[in-house]
Amino acid sequence: MGLQMLMNATLLGGLYALMGIGFSLQWGISGIINLSYGAMVMLGSYISLEFFNFFHIDPFISMIMSGAILFVIGAIIYRGLLQPFLKGGIVFTLILTFAVRLIVENIILKVWSADYRTIRLVYAGSNFQLGDVYIPLTKFLTFITAGILIYLTYLFMMNTKIGKGIQAVALDKEGAQAVGMDVEKMYMINFALGTALAGLTGSLWASIYSFSPHLLGPLVGKVFIIAILGGLGNIWGAAAGGLLLGFAETAGAGFLGSQWQEAIGMVIMVSVLLWRPYGLMGKKFFG
Amino acid sequence: MSNNKKVNIFLLIIAVVLFIFLPRFLSGYMVRVITTIFMYAVIAQGMNIMSGYMGYLPFGNAMFFGIGAYVTAIGMSKGLPFLVVVPLAAITAILFSILLGLPVLRLRGHYFAIATIGMSAAILSVVQNATEITGGAMGTTLPIIDKDPSIVYNYFYLAMFGLMIITTLSLHFIIKSRFGFGIRSIKANEEAAISMGINTTYHKVVAWAISAFFTSIAGALYAYWMSFIAPDEVFDVMIAVNTIVIMLIGGAGSILGPIIGAFIIELFAEVAWSAFLEYHLAALGIIIIIIVFFVPKGVTGTIADFIKRKKIRARKKVSI
Amino acid sequence: MGENNTILKIMNLSKHFGALRAVDEVSFEVKKGEIIGLIGPNGAGKTTLTNLATGAYPKTDGKVIFKDLDISNLKPYQIARMGLTRTFQVVKPLIGMTVEENVLVGSLYGRDKRNTDMKNASKRAKEIIKLVGLENKKDSLVSDITLPDLKKMEFARVLAMEPEVVFLDEVMAGLNPTEVAEASILVKKIRLEKDLTIVYIEHIMKAVMGISDRIVVLHHGRKIVEGTPQEVVNNPAVVEAYLGKRYAKGIKEANNEE
Repeated sequence: MGLQMLMNATLLGGLYALMGIGFSLQWGISGIINLSYGAMVMLGSYISLEFFNFFHIDPFISMIMSGAILFVIGAIIYRGLLQPFLKGGIVFTLILTFAVRLIVENIILKVWSADYRTIRLVYAGSNFQLGDVYIPLTKFLTFITAGILIYLTYLFMMNTKIGKGIQAVALDKEGAQAVGMDVEKMYMINFALGTALAGLTGSLWASIYSFSPHLLGPLVGKVFIIAILGGLGNIWGAAAGGLLLGFAETAGAGFLGSQWQEAIGMVIMVSVLLWRPYGLMGKKFFG
Repeated sequence: MSNNKKVNIFLLIIAVVLFIFLPRFLSGYMVRVITTIFMYAVIAQGMNIMSGYMGYLPFGNAMFFGIGAYVTAIGMSKGLPFLVVVPLAAITAILFSILLGLPVLRLRGHYFAIATIGMSAAILSVVQNATEITGGAMGTTLPIIDKDPSIVYNYFYLAMFGLMIITTLSLHFIIKSRFGFGIRSIKANEEAAISMGINTTYHKVVAWAISAFFTSIAGALYAYWMSFIAPDEVFDVMIAVNTIVIMLIGGAGSILGPIIGAFIIELFAEVAWSAFLEYHLAALGIIIIIIVFFVPKGVTGTIADFIKRKKIRARKKVSI
Repeated sequence: MGENNTILKIMNLSKHFGALRAVDEVSFEVKKGEIIGLIGPNGAGKTTLTNLATGAYPKTDGKVIFKDLDISNLKPYQIARMGLTRTFQVVKPLIGMTVEENVLVGSLYGRDKRNTDMKNASKRAKEIIKLVGLENKKDSLVSDITLPDLKKMEFARVLAMEPEVVFLDEVMAGLNPTEVAEASILVKKIRLEKDLTIVYIEHIMKAVMGISDRIVVLHHGRKIVEGTPQEVVNNPAVVEAYLGKRYAKGIKEANNEE
């Protein structure tokens, strides 16, 4: 694998890592397999699109709005739709999150149509060079931002009262309840954090790639792979999973042609599933 | 045999006879619609045995539909007759279910549902890309039946109907059997089931194989009927979603639930399509939410609850 | 059967959860037809030991020999089918099914291969239900019956499997004194009729004393005493485990004065 390919893979992997963490947290801690996750990412992209078109605000700044809006949406979805049915088993949470996806998909289609959209940044074309390797500026900024956001998430989990509360609930629900923690609130905040990360990812995505409702499904596929590779509820595992997927896709596209890109990811995931069902990192641990 | 049973069987036979002669009175379009309903009922029964009765949701079960369709297409392109390819398709599906099922079904809990989503997506990807064998993303054709169209669609109407009857009856007898109790115990309390000597992995894998069997034959019939299939059509995640919704609205864990559900959902689809054209996705999403909130046990479940409450009320009256 | 009619041998059984030694090199033997009381304060490792013996947990170390066969590496369902069974401290009814169906499942998957077809299994289930006195509740859903009846049902379910050894895990938990007395009578009666060997787990001394032939006492995962009920009840180590050092001292002095 040439250095350029390595660089491309890493830059892509960083974005995937951020994306995967949100989904992994929702699944691993809140216990929700969120089939609307791809739709949440895309909402982030479209929110940044509107901020760019109307207020000329750069997605790296409007991503804060995306994150905030998606946080609130996530909290509402969890509290209003999912919490009442947690006891119903996986059928209900899967089908309900799928229902959310359908509704969001329809909204996106109505408002923005199925056409691919882009955010044309002034500096979109520029790149800089590191030796023989070309690094596109937007991808570089995205990678750095993703890294910062991941680290901030980690700090949040480790150092804030709520973050530690979420960890406590993840490790021992009954214990947390016994010390008087509002367990459902923790699950809700965790879920909302997940959608916020999705929204942030969407904004970053929009700075580099074009986007459309067609991506809704494939994005869910990708975060599945990341979560399964890296283990559930595990920030660094998901990050590693994201990087791995970035590498696998880039290598697959490079060696086999881009049509095998998605297939590669899928086959890898299924192989990991069959061999180590709890992910490469093993059962939940907090890094 | 109790009188109640005799009446039920009599009614069933009447219903079967009615359905067999129904096409004479309907337009070609309606016959095709009802054939699709039968097909969805079969797929839903496949899901019903796994999810409704055993508590393991195979979200990606459509993969067997696609496998059935593609083995049929490939087999017939090599010149094999339909009746030879169908068993091949079923066997392929069963093999897949065992190979993929064994590692994942050893575990308990949600992993299975997710794994099947991944498996289905992976198989879709591979089929899309293995163009020399499968015809790729563009799809592949099957031999067209050289007969009058009305004969063709009536033939498939009866074939799907027969498949639905056989699937439903098989499920009925399986659930009543010793094996069926094993399956239901897994849903009721898997840990207790194990402690009673039930080999739960065996039950789960066999149940999935049964599910794969019927689902794949539906796919085989579909392929031959349509004469053309494409990967994102027969491996479509929407098949799974529709099937789950059908199972829920009809009533999971009941024998007639999937059939009732298929009729209801198709009815809704027909009505909604013209009324909500631009909003049909959101409409389906809202329907799902409404079903989950208000009718989670489905039609059969809600009726069963109603009957139970009436019985309790009657008993109370007598004791006073 | 091996020497002394031993049906179950627990040999140096250990289960460590990281640094926590839930079960620490416990050994004892159970003779066919005995009722062995397995007692100890909460957290002593009684349920963990049960899980180890029935294969529900993997062992850290040690062996379990049942009817002269090393069952240490068998799967739980295989062990159950061989005749080593258990009930659960927190009852685990098959939800959604009736009492009769619950017992039927036990009967269908029980040991006697000849009778695991529906007809014979149904017959046997009905007999067992009659034996434990649940006949008038047999068509009730398990979600609709009281706790004592749930315990009876779980007991019936296990009996329907035609076991040889039953681990009764805190079967008295949640029952009032009348129900406890009833349950004790039922257990004694059935043990005789069905020729059962019972490992009777309790953390209440009194419930176990009147029914056990021998007692094994666990504390912090280790076996501290084994003997007849009389020997155990006066043993200072046991008293200390339950009531603390000061009481134990009192017992020691009382013993010395005799």
